[in-house]
Amino acid sequence: MIYEKEKRYIIPFDDVPSDRAEMPEITVDERRRNFVEVETGFPEEVAVAEAKRCLSCRRCLGCALCWAECKPEAINFDIPDEELDLDFAEIVLTKGQDNSFHPFNSELGYGSYADVITDLQFERMLSPTGPTDGLVVSPLDGEIATRIAIVQGNTDEDETHLLSSLVLGVNESILALDKTEDLEVVLVSPVCQAFKEKFLSDSEKIGGLKIVDGVPESVEKGQKEEPLKVTFSEDGQSKKENFDLVVVLTKPKVSPEIASLSKKLKQEIM
Amino acid sequence: MEDKKVLIVGGGPDGVRAALEKAEDGAMVTILEKFPTLGAERIPRDRLIKPDEAFANPDLDKVRNHSDIKILTYSDLKKVTRENGTVHANILKRSLRIDNTKCNDCKACIKVCPVNMFDDFDEAFSFRTAVDYCNSETSEYNIYKEDMPVCQQACPVNLDIRTYVGLIADGKYLDSLATIRDRLPLPGSIGRVCPHPCETACNRQYLDEAISICFLKRYVADVEINEEIEPVYETPEKKHPEKIAIIGAGPAGLTCAYDLARIGYKHIKIFEALPVPGGYLWVGIPEYRLPKKLLQREVDLISNMGIDIQYNTRIGKDISFEDLKNDYDAVFIGAGCHRGLKLRVPGEDEYEGKGIVDCVTFLRDQALGNPMEAKGKLIVIGGGNAAIDSARVGWRMGFDEVYILYRRTKKEMPANPWEIDAAEHEGVIIQYLAAPVEILGKNGRVSGMKCIKMELGESDESGRRRPVPIEGSEYTIDAETIVPAISQGTDLEFLGEDHGFDINRWNTFEIDEETGATNVPGVFAGGDVVTGPGIAIGAIAAGKKAATGIHKYLRSK
Repeated sequence: MIYEKEKRYIIPFDDVPSDRAEMPEITVDERRRNFVEVETGFPEEVAVAEAKRCLSCRRCLGCALCWAECKPEAINFDIPDEELDLDFAEIVLTKGQDNSFHPFNSELGYGSYADVITDLQFERMLSPTGPTDGLVVSPLDGEIATRIAIVQGNTDEDETHLLSSLVLGVNESILALDKTEDLEVVLVSPVCQAFKEKFLSDSEKIGGLKIVDGVPESVEKGQKEEPLKVTFSEDGQSKKENFDLVVVLTKPKVSPEIASLSKKLKQEIM
Repeated sequence: MEDKKVLIVGGGPDGVRAALEKAEDGAMVTILEKFPTLGAERIPRDRLIKPDEAFANPDLDKVRNHSDIKILTYSDLKKVTRENGTVHANILKRSLRIDNTKCNDCKACIKVCPVNMFDDFDEAFSFRTAVDYCNSETSEYNIYKEDMPVCQQACPVNLDIRTYVGLIADGKYLDSLATIRDRLPLPGSIGRVCPHPCETACNRQYLDEAISICFLKRYVADVEINEEIEPVYETPEKKHPEKIAIIGAGPAGLTCAYDLARIGYKHIKIFEALPVPGGYLWVGIPEYRLPKKLLQREVDLISNMGIDIQYNTRIGKDISFEDLKNDYDAVFIGAGCHRGLKLRVPGEDEYEGKGIVDCVTFLRDQALGNPMEAKGKLIVIGGGNAAIDSARVGWRMGFDEVYILYRRTKKEMPANPWEIDAAEHEGVIIQYLAAPVEILGKNGRVSGMKCIKMELGESDESGRRRPVPIEGSEYTIDAETIVPAISQGTDLEFLGEDHGFDINRWNTFEIDEETGATNVPGVFAGGDVVTGPGIAIGAIAAGKKAATGIHKYLRSK
C-alpha cells in the first residue's frame, strides 16, 4: 500500500523500513562514574537496512530514456553550461523567487493538517498553470472548497507587512471568488490604518468576502474528515467557525545566499 | 556614451519590475534568475487587482520583449566583486540540455522520465519529472539536474553521501569508507559527533524520517577497526619542496595537513600547544561521545603520511609567531576557540579557581586525566553543547547533583536536542528560564549561587525572544562547583603586538572566503579561530579550503 504523510506519497518495500534506525545505547546505570562510550553502533543488518532507506535523490538520473524517445532529436546532454564574466555599473538585489517564510504561530495547524496551506501555495492553486488548473480545492480530499479562511500568520509585524499581506489576501480572495460559485471567504487580520485609508471601501464591495479586523488564535480539527475549526478574535470577542480550507498569510524571508550577497556588497535588498 | 549596464539579481516580481524601471531609464539590463523561468506570474502584493484583470503580471511580457533587457534564467551568480564602482560578475548559465528550436512539444520525454519529484515551483503541491516545461508561455523545456543532492549541498565539505550510503546498501563497506575519506580524514570521529546538517536537509523526512547518515559513516569506520585493517593514506610520488607550518592539531589543522600531503607537500609540521591531538575533539568532546583511542588512531593515520606533529609547543611562548612566519613558506592558523567566556556577575573573579571554573578548562582537565575534585553539587550555566557536555561529564565524575541553568526555554536551547534529552535522561536537572545573579562563597570557596527567574519578552535581532528577569524572584542553589559554559572566544595573544592582521570585533580573523587567506601574505586561517565556536565539520571544510588556497599561493609564487 502506498502510504501518505502530509500529502506526500512513498511506496514501501519489504526490505526498506520506514522508521529511522535507532542507535543502541548502554543503560544509564552503566554510565555512572565512567566514560564508556554511550552509543554502541549499528549492527550490520541495521546499517544495511538504514542505507537502503536513502532515496538517492537527484534530479536527472542520466538514464537517457527521454533522449531515446525524442523524435525531433531535441534532447542533447552535451549542450555545455556557459560561464560568463560580465561587468556592470550597478547591481540590484531582489528577494528572488525563494519561497521560504518566517515562522508563524504553530497553533494555526500548518504542517499538521493537509487543508491548511500558505498564501504561496494558494497562489499556485489559483494559477491557471498551477497544480489544480486554477480550481480551488481542498488538498485533503480534492473537493471544491465552499468556505475559506485566510488568516494572518504574523500578527505582530509592522504596518508594511500587514498592508502587503492584506492586499495579497484580498487579491487571492478576488481570484478565488471569481472562479468558484457560492464561495465564502473570511479574511482575519489586524486591519492596519494604511489599508483602511486606501483599500477598505473597495474591498467591502467584493461579494462573498468578509474582512474581520481581528487576530487568528488557533486552527483545530477532530476527525480527519471534519471541517477545520478556526478560533479568532473579533472586537475583543473570541469566535469559532468552520471552514474547508485555511490559508495562512506568511512573511517572506530573504534567502541566505541573497542575504550574504547583500552583506558582502554592503547593499540593501530591494 | 555607452549605456549604463545594470544587473538585477532575482527574477521574481520585484526583479521584473526593477528591470523594467531601469530599462525605461535607458539602461542595458540583465536579469539573473536561478530557476529556469522568471517568476513574475505571482500576484502583486502591493496593488489591489480587479476581478477582470489578467492574472499574469503584464510586466512579464514587456520584459520578455524589451530589446534592452537580457534574461539569464537557470543561472547562478558564482562570484561577484566590486572594484572602483564596477561590478564584476562571474555567472554560470546552466545548460537546458534541450534544443528548444527542435522541440515539437509532444511531451514524449515527460511520459518516459522515471524521475518523480516534488515540484518546488508548485510549492510541492504536485509532482514533476526531471524534464520540465514549467513555463506554458514559452514552452521552454529543460532537464533539471542540480550540482548535488540536498544532503551533499548541506554538508560543509560536500561529502558524496548518496554514493557512500548506496555502497553500504550494497554491502561494500570499505568502498564506502574510501569515498568518505576522499573528502574527510576523520570519518569515525565525525561519524560520532557531527550535528549532521545533511540529515536536517534529507528529503526522506518529508516521507517518514530522515536517513541516519551520520551513524552510517560511523558504521563503515568501525568496520575497518573491527576487521583490523590498517589503511595507508597514499601520497603522490611528485613532491613540492615548500615548508608549511600549521598551528593547532584540531580538525581544521589536521584536514589542512591531510589535503596538502595528498597534493604532494612533504614538509608539513603541525604545532600543538597541548600534549594531545584533535583540539576540541580531544579536550572538549567527552570520551563517552568520542573515545580517545579512536581519535588517536585517525590522527595517527594522518601523521603516517609524513606529517610531523610537535606537541606541547605553544606558538607565542615556545616559538614566536614571527619566527614561524619567517621559517616557513606558508602558515595555517587553526588555533580554535579555547577561552571560556565569563558570566560577569559579582563573586566570579573572587572565587575563580576556588570552585568556579570555565567549561573549556573543566572539560580539558578531565580529558587530560587531571579532573577537579567531584564533591557535592555542580551548576553548569549555559544552553549550548559545551554546557550539556560539562553537565554530563560532571555527572560521570561523581557530583551528587548536577544542574544546568539556562535563561530561555528548551525550545531556544542551541544544544543538539538529542544531547539535551540524553542529559535529562541521565538525571541532570535542567532549570529553564533562570540566570545567575551572584556567586556566593564561604571560607574562601564557592558555596552556592544566587539565581533569578526569567520570562521571555520581545524578540531580538536573531528572532529569539529576549529573556527578562522577573523582579523579586531570586533564589539560591547551594553548590560547591560552578561551571560557566556561555560561550567560547579566541585567544590571539600568540600573534604578539603589531601583528598587522585584520581582526574583527569578535576577535576572530577576517579571511578571504575563497582561499582562507588572511591579509598577511602567506598566512591562512580557518575553523573556530575565524568563525567563533562552530561545528567540527565546518572547521574541516575550512581546513580543506585553506589547503587549496595555500597550494594556489605557493604555486603562483
